[in-house]
Amino acid sequence: MNPSSRFVQRYAKTQCLIHWVGVITFFALLFSGIALIFAPLSWFAAGGVSKLIHRIAIVPFVVLPILYVILIPRQARALIAESFTYTRDDWAWFKCMPAYFFGSTKNLPPQGRINAGQKIHHALTFVMFVSVSVSGFGLLFGKGRLGVEGLAFAAIAHDLSMLGLTVLLIGHLYFTLVYDALSAMVRGVVSEEYARMEHPKWVAELPENAFIVARAREK
Amino acid sequence: MARYAFSLDLDRCIGCAACTIACKTGNDLADNVRYIAVNKFMRGHIPNLFGSFAHHRCFHCEDAACVQVCPTGALSKWNGLTVVDAAKCSACGYCTDACPFKIPTLAAEHVSKCIACFDQVSEGAMPWCVQTCPSQALRFGERARIVTDLQARRATIKARFPAARLYGETELGGLGLIMLLLDQPQVYGLPENPQVPLTLTVWQRAIQPASVGLSLTALAVTGASFIIARRQHLREHARNHQTESLDQIGKDQK
Ligand code: HEM
Ligand code: HEM
Ligand code: SF4
Ligand code: SF4
Ligand code: SF4
Repeated sequence: MNPSSRFVQRYAKTQCLIHWVGVITFFALLFSGIALIFAPLSWFAAGGVSKLIHRIAIVPFVVLPILYVILIPRQARALIAESFTYTRDDWAWFKCMPAYFFGSTKNLPPQGRINAGQKIHHALTFVMFVSVSVSGFGLLFGKGRLGVEGLAFAAIAHDLSMLGLTVLLIGHLYFTLVYDALSAMVRGVVSEEYARMEHPKWVAELPENAFIVARAREK
Repeated sequence: MARYAFSLDLDRCIGCAACTIACKTGNDLADNVRYIAVNKFMRGHIPNLFGSFAHHRCFHCEDAACVQVCPTGALSKWNGLTVVDAAKCSACGYCTDACPFKIPTLAAEHVSKCIACFDQVSEGAMPWCVQTCPSQALRFGERARIVTDLQARRATIKARFPAARLYGETELGGLGLIMLLLDQPQVYGLPENPQVPLTLTVWQRAIQPASVGLSLTALAVTGASFIIARRQHLREHARNHQTESLDQIGKDQK
């Protein structure tokens, strides 16, 4: 039997859509923001193009999480609850993280719907979403009111949040590509093999009819 | 490289504000824009009345906070002067907050402050304000000479104004506009010891480069280990394909 012929639903369409609009928004903010602190990109900041893009992208960046909560409150609650709950298996998982980083799932303690690494990614993303937004609005509305020290302080907080989010993104992207997880966010499904390797506790909870035989694309 | 500077002798200034007008006309400034403001002020009581003129204009600081924070290079140092390339300005407004003298403003989405009459000066001519001053209170030239001349002037007025002093000789790395004040700086609304706050320097010199640098480092590290990790995972993947039953997958996990 070919272990990758059956699939299991992981994300709803709405979740995928919000995620990808969010990704575009994030990259728009990242590049337009970096243009202000990275000299080789300053041509992009000159004349105010990057400023305009940065300010437009703020709107979806703040609206998307709100939409997530309004449109799919059940998933939103699960995402937040799970991201901030750490079990014994999760702590043990972190100990295996070095090997996992280099591509080995051997000896991993069994993980639930989202593994310990995803939990910490999502949790830190929430925290830094708040710090990047608060410092960003500080910069936006504090102009001329914050004074020099206030401006510098807000910008330092904004820069460090940017750094944190970027490192998280790089890790997020890394594990997605090493472990072929992209389909979870593209078609909303993952292969049975992937599910069993990475999330055995979750698989155990699923009803047998959760597994679907794949459509067209799979041979 | 030359180091130019302006000098402003407040014993000679008669408060006519011709410099303001000359600057506006010479540089073709829009109606609501001006680079110099001259404000008359009085202190004390008759007969001990003291009056002078407070000039609000760019000091062309050597350690210019505005240049430090400008992300686009719209503000830069040129031969001791702080020059402006307005086309590059993104109107981020950092400079308006950073300047210790609150000089730059934003007008029509561009920075607005003294441009040191760059076109004139780079061709060897005098700035408009200096050309126009009727009492020779304003001068412009090689900084070293500007300073010695102003020190000599201070000596000559010492008897009349014992508190007279130079402002800008050493402040902020040496200002590019040195004033001969007749009284303490506070009287003119100037900070005694202007400073670029440490947080601003930390932000510009440490946090900004570190943020970019560490992001790129993370990218490089994961990029390199990706190749190793991916090969390892593909090996596991192949092993899974050899197993008979799906239930075996993940069984080597505890
Ligand atoms: C609610 C979200 C955000 C708001 C309100 C916001 C607002 C701002 C503002 C007002 C500035 C100052 C420059 C300007 O006025 O154009 C700025 C700069 C910047 N932003 Fe954001 N931003 C947000 C999210 C982000 C995100 C998600 C990133 C990247 C991950 C980011 C990266 C940057 C960077 C790197 C700078 C330059 C800071 C510096 O000069 O040191 N921003 N942001
Ligand atoms: C090109 C960039 C990105 C790719 C390829 C990507 C890919 C993915 C994938 C495959 C998943 C599903 C993982 C799973 O199986 O559970 C996921 C989930 C997630 N990603 Fe991304 N991602 C990207 C950028 C981002 C960014 C920039 C953020 C936030 C700043 C982010 C935040 C999240 C969150 C919070 C989840 C959980 C979603 C949920 O439970 O609804 N991602 N991403
Ligand atoms: S140097 Fe030129 S731009 Fe600056 S104040 Fe004088 S006239 Fe105006
Ligand atoms: S006085 Fe202000 S605007 Fe002029 S050079 Fe100094 S910091 Fe820049
Ligand atoms: S407003 Fe313009 S001149 Fe001032 S710091 Fe921003 S880009 Fe530079």
